[in-house]
Amino acid sequence: MKLIALMKKEFLRFFGDPKLIVTMLLPGILIYLIYSLMGTAIFGGEEVYDFKVYVTERSQAETVIAQTVEANEGWSIEFLELGELTPEEAVAEVQEGNADAVIVYPENFDEGIASGGGFDSSLELVYNSAETQSLRIYTVLNAVFASWGRPFALTASDLGETEAFEMQMMSGFLPFLIVVFIFSSCMSVTLESVAGEKERGTLATILVTSARRTDIALGKILPLACVSLIGAASSFLGVALSLPTLMGVSLDVAIAGVGALEFFFIFLLIVSVVPLIVAAIAAVSTLSRSVKEASSYTGVLMIVVMVLSIVASFVSGIGDWVVAIPVLNAVVAMQGALMGAASVWMCLTAVALNLVYTALLVVLIARFLSSERIMFGT
Amino acid sequence: MDNDNTPFPAFGDEVIRATELRKTFELSRRQRRLDRTNDVYRVAVDGLSLSAYRGEIYGLLGPNGAGKTTTLRMLSTLIKPDAGDAFICGHSIRKQPDKVRDVIGFMTSELKLEGFFTPSYLFDFFGAMHGIEKSALAARKQELFSRFGIDKFAEVKVKDLSTGMKQKVSLVIAIVHDPDVIIFDEPTNGLDVLTAKVVTDFLLELKAMGKSIILSTHIFSLVEKLCDRVGIIIDGRMVADGTISELCDGMTLEDKFFEIYRETKGENV
Repeated sequence: MKLIALMKKEFLRFFGDPKLIVTMLLPGILIYLIYSLMGTAIFGGEEVYDFKVYVTERSQAETVIAQTVEANEGWSIEFLELGELTPEEAVAEVQEGNADAVIVYPENFDEGIASGGGFDSSLELVYNSAETQSLRIYTVLNAVFASWGRPFALTASDLGETEAFEMQMMSGFLPFLIVVFIFSSCMSVTLESVAGEKERGTLATILVTSARRTDIALGKILPLACVSLIGAASSFLGVALSLPTLMGVSLDVAIAGVGALEFFFIFLLIVSVVPLIVAAIAAVSTLSRSVKEASSYTGVLMIVVMVLSIVASFVSGIGDWVVAIPVLNAVVAMQGALMGAASVWMCLTAVALNLVYTALLVVLIARFLSSERIMFGT
Repeated sequence: MDNDNTPFPAFGDEVIRATELRKTFELSRRQRRLDRTNDVYRVAVDGLSLSAYRGEIYGLLGPNGAGKTTTLRMLSTLIKPDAGDAFICGHSIRKQPDKVRDVIGFMTSELKLEGFFTPSYLFDFFGAMHGIEKSALAARKQELFSRFGIDKFAEVKVKDLSTGMKQKVSLVIAIVHDPDVIIFDEPTNGLDVLTAKVVTDFLLELKAMGKSIILSTHIFSLVEKLCDRVGIIIDGRMVADGTISELCDGMTLEDKFFEIYRETKGENV
């Protein structure tokens, strides 16, 4: 009963204040506008493409690729066998802009797919990000091959310089961005609710009642996590909706490699990360004497979270131990899910561990609330 | 002024019994510099004992920094004593702080109400925090709100209320759970004359309702007006304690206080 009353109060405090709701939703709208503008700037207005792609052998994959390409109005594709060209000469064609990509299949690709594995080499995509058309077909090819239950490795070679790198970064950065949005969303509500209440003396009024300290801590964290989830969802939608413009392909192509299971895991990971971050900020806020002080400490915490997330984006081949590190585990698991290769055990272990860390933080906050030195500065 | 503040004979129960309470605070470097001292610790309350009885108002009288607020904070379980213990309605402040919180109402200017909410909502919220049933809570709200004239402002946000009304709301919320003991730190500190009267009338009403009250103050007239029993604290020690008539022995409270102060500190004010 006490926990429910505490939670209701937090919800009422948030939903009764239109300013707080706007603060939550605004980032998503801004992200959508900014990313859409960025995408338009990168890809310009050209919408009719006739792709030329060299292939080392004919494959049934061509049908799927063609269907995906032709789903976009005004787009068409032609597959050219190397014939007398060497692979190096085909690559040179792409470099000069006479072709858009080269697909180097592993030997006996279709047979390998039909029998379910055993490839000696990887499937290689060669493209030139300096050419918009080449970059677009690469995005499509990457999405199509990523969406398969791949028994083969996929490698990509970019002949261009910066743009593809940026785009690659953008897809790789998505989990990082999600975590950053979650963090900002959690920060905006938690600082005010915990450090603000402490500073104003209203938290002490609750401490004089016989409510258990764990109930007070949970009564803050659970509603704040729900509210933060709304903010994070707004930011996430902003990214998801602007992604097609940003990547220059339609939404279904952009997320072609991501199945229902992957989306479910991404959702679970977000749901596990939000209360963890809220609890971490609430712990810092409880330790602080004012909102200002809490903001400074939370800034440091945000840098730590960002560094952990960036590490996951840049460093490849991180070992399984990463699952034990809060936040970083979710970023790595989300990256796997977004590439259509979610590791079930990693996702579930990350979710479970994040919830355990949250519970530990709740206990810690309850101890902080019982500490006269922390609560009353004695 | 009515100076006959002897306890009601029918209420002889010892509702508060504090024994040898001691509290020490660590001084920050800045505080040490300001106080020009090298002492790392300061003894705020030093072996303080007191007894307060049912239906009485007990006043803790002392200069600033004497240890009054620290004593009340210990009694209200916000801070823990380093040594000694106190029992409120038989519950130990050290071992049963939750039970103590159920039988006390603590009022101090440091405890605030969120301006965003209405008195009606906050009354219900704090009622729930004390585990009061909804029907009982509704009846109590009606009774207290009408008694203290809050009913007309029940749905106005606290931030939009006058200072006096805010104070009334704080007082009513502090006793939402009908506590047997009310602990009140500096009840009229910083209040204008009208609001101060609201508070003192309120305390007398609570006393009339059979509640036990312990308050801290440095205002002699307030003690003389309200208190049945008084304890004088200087430098964290209880230097005199008893009913006002026992303590003053024909002198005014103010004269008696300064006499005790001189004897204790060995210096004139």
